[in-house]
This record gives sequence, structure tokens and C-alpha cells, in this order.
Amino acid sequence: MSDTHAHDYHPPGLQHQFEDMKQQEESNIIGMWMFLAQEIMFFGGLFTAYLIFRSKYPMAFAAGSNHLDAFLGGLNTLVLIVSSLTMALTVYYAQKNNRNMQVIMIVLTMIFGTVFLGVKAVEYTDKYNHGLVPFATWNKKTKGEAQAKTEAPKEVKNFFASEGGKAPAGAKVEEKHDYINPTGQFQWNSQGESNELILEAQKGNFLTEDEKIGYFTNGEIDQKKFEGRVRIFFWIYFAMTGLHALHMIIGLGLMLWLLIMAWRGTYSAQYYSPVEISGLYWHFVDIVWIFLFPLLYLLGRHFIH
Amino acid sequence: MSDKHEEHELHMGIPQYLVIFTILFVGTIITYYVALTDLDSRLFAGANTLVALLIAFFKMTCVVLYFMHVRWNGKLIWLTAAGSFVFLGIMFAFTMQDYLTRGAGIFTR
Repeated sequence: MSDTHAHDYHPPGLQHQFEDMKQQEESNIIGMWMFLAQEIMFFGGLFTAYLIFRSKYPMAFAAGSNHLDAFLGGLNTLVLIVSSLTMALTVYYAQKNNRNMQVIMIVLTMIFGTVFLGVKAVEYTDKYNHGLVPFATWNKKTKGEAQAKTEAPKEVKNFFASEGGKAPAGAKVEEKHDYINPTGQFQWNSQGESNELILEAQKGNFLTEDEKIGYFTNGEIDQKKFEGRVRIFFWIYFAMTGLHALHMIIGLGLMLWLLIMAWRGTYSAQYYSPVEISGLYWHFVDIVWIFLFPLLYLLGRHFIH
Repeated sequence: MSDKHEEHELHMGIPQYLVIFTILFVGTIITYYVALTDLDSRLFAGANTLVALLIAFFKMTCVVLYFMHVRWNGKLIWLTAAGSFVFLGIMFAFTMQDYLTRGAGIFTR
């Protein structure tokens, strides 16, 4: 690289502090793994929060999880796995000196990454319209407000306040279809079912100590208290998936840089460390999602099927 | 690091990558459908979560060993990869041994 060392030969990608390409490569990978170890602890903090609150309020977590769209979550898992494959193949083609296939695979990885974020955006919009975003004032759908005023206020009825916990079966359908939520209220999918489950668990003595205190007021199910516990789930959901989405965006930035460098033909069988360590990062983000999907989307799924 | 490999030996070809990909893909679909069946009442409480996590661990192992090439990396990388999970386990265990052994506390509100 530098002209001062022109007299003794070394491979073009070799930095002067390393003995040979193999040592340089391994140092790069170890450095990346050290970073990933910190990332594991970073996400691990949120997984710990999840562990604590799920062990305290399992029923509220199951109820919250049933508000998520498991099909979209599963679809996103598959999309990420495909993008992981294309990323692994990028490394493979870099090792094979194949510039064109490298570029194609990086573009495919970027496309699947973007599809993932698109599906995520659809899901977030849905949660926003249902008043599930943890910030109460953020849930006001201002566009629908004018419409809500002209139409009858039946869509914005607060079920658990007026019906004492039992939502009428017919009214739920209306609520699901038009997303008018001007007061930013928490919207329930299957509130009656979760009440029945809590009562059933109470009979079988399955409730945890925290649940016995956390869901009931004077022996009656208190919807406000239960809602507060479900909100804990949504805090954790938004924090974890939000942090994961941020990692995806950073990963897409890395891919863009890789794409430019691969387009210029920088990477070869002798020098492909940037492809390799970007791949490690991308696979790590995939692994985080592999755990997030069953932990956030699938718990309590069997209660409603 | 002491063992000398050939300079640019390829450990995995496209068929091998596709096999790992198929395992991950099928694992995801199994996870989804297992979650819809009520294992909790058929087997034991928590069976659904246990199965989902076992599949997730298996998928993670496949990604780490084959997509991230840890299987063919040096011992120091093995140590880093495994060590990070040890620390994660310490965080989980030490936090939960505190939380799980505390009472819920009765407060009148």
C-alpha cells in the first residue's frame, strides 16, 4: 500500500502491522466478535427486562402478544433468513473472486432488508392505530378525528369502562376495520377471552403472586390494572423491535458501502474481510430476530386458536 | 491458529449453504405451527415456550457455526463467541435469582 515498503512484497490488502493475510483476517474477525459480544449484552439487557416482567405477568404478556400479527412476524423471520443466505453467498462469491455475483447478492440482501423494514412499518402503523404505542398522546390519529366527529361515536366506545369487562361480540368487528382512535385509547382484540383465561387460571391457582395483586381490585378483575400490565409488554415490544430495526438500518448502511466497494472490484479472494465482518453483523441481527419472533409474537398464541 | 490451512480454502459450497438455509426455513415454519397447538395443557406448563426456544437455539447454532463460519475459525474466536453467551447467562441467572426469590409484596391502593 505505502511506497516505503515497495521493496519487499506483500499482498495488496495487507496492513503493515500484520504478519500475513491469515493473521490479519483472524484479527478482524476476533475484533468483530468482541463487538458482537457487547451487542449480545446490549440486547441481553432488554431480554432480561422481558424475562423479569414475563415471569411476573405471564397472562398480560400472552394477551399483549395476541395483539401482534404472528403471520407478519413469521413472514419477517423468513425474509431475514433469506437475506442471511444472500449475505453468506456474498462472502462465498467474494472468496471466489466473482464481482458480478457479489454485487447481485448485496443488492438482494438490501432488498430483503428493506422488505423487512417495510413489513415492520406496516405493523407499527397498525399498533399506532390501535393505541398500543406506549406514549398515550402519540396514539391520537389526527387524520381520522374529523371523520370521527361526523360519524356516530360508536366506533370510539371504550368497552371495558361501559360493559364491565365483557365486550359484545358484534361490536368488535366494527372496531377492527376503521382505525379511528381520536382519544388514543387502548383497543382490545379479544378482551373477553383474556378475562375468561384469567378467571380460569385463578380457579386452577395458576396465577403468579404478582398477578394476584396486579390484575385484581377487591377480588374483581380490574381492566385498568390489567391494561397497565399489558402496556409493559408493549414497552418491551417497541424497545426490542425498535432497537432491532435500528440495527437493520445501520446494516443497510453497511450494505450500501459494501455495494459501492464491491462495484469497484475491491474485494477478492485475497482480501474480503469487510464482506466477512459485515456478514457477521448481518447474521447477528438475524439471530436476534430468531429469538424475538417466538418470544414476542408466539406466546399465548394457542389460547386463541 | 497454529495449524496451517491452505491459504483460501473454501469450507462451504452453495449446496451446503442451501442445506443450512432450508433447515432455518423449516425451523421457522415448525415454530409457527407448534405455537398454535396447545402443548401447555397436553404436556406440561411452559412446554410451548420451551419448544420455541429449543428451535430458536438450534437455528442460532446453525447460523453461528455455518453462516458465520465459526466452525472453521480459530480457538480464540470460539472462546469469544461462547464467552459472550456465558456472560449473558450470568446476567440472566443473577437477575432472576434475585427477582424470583422476592415476594410480590402486598400494598393497599
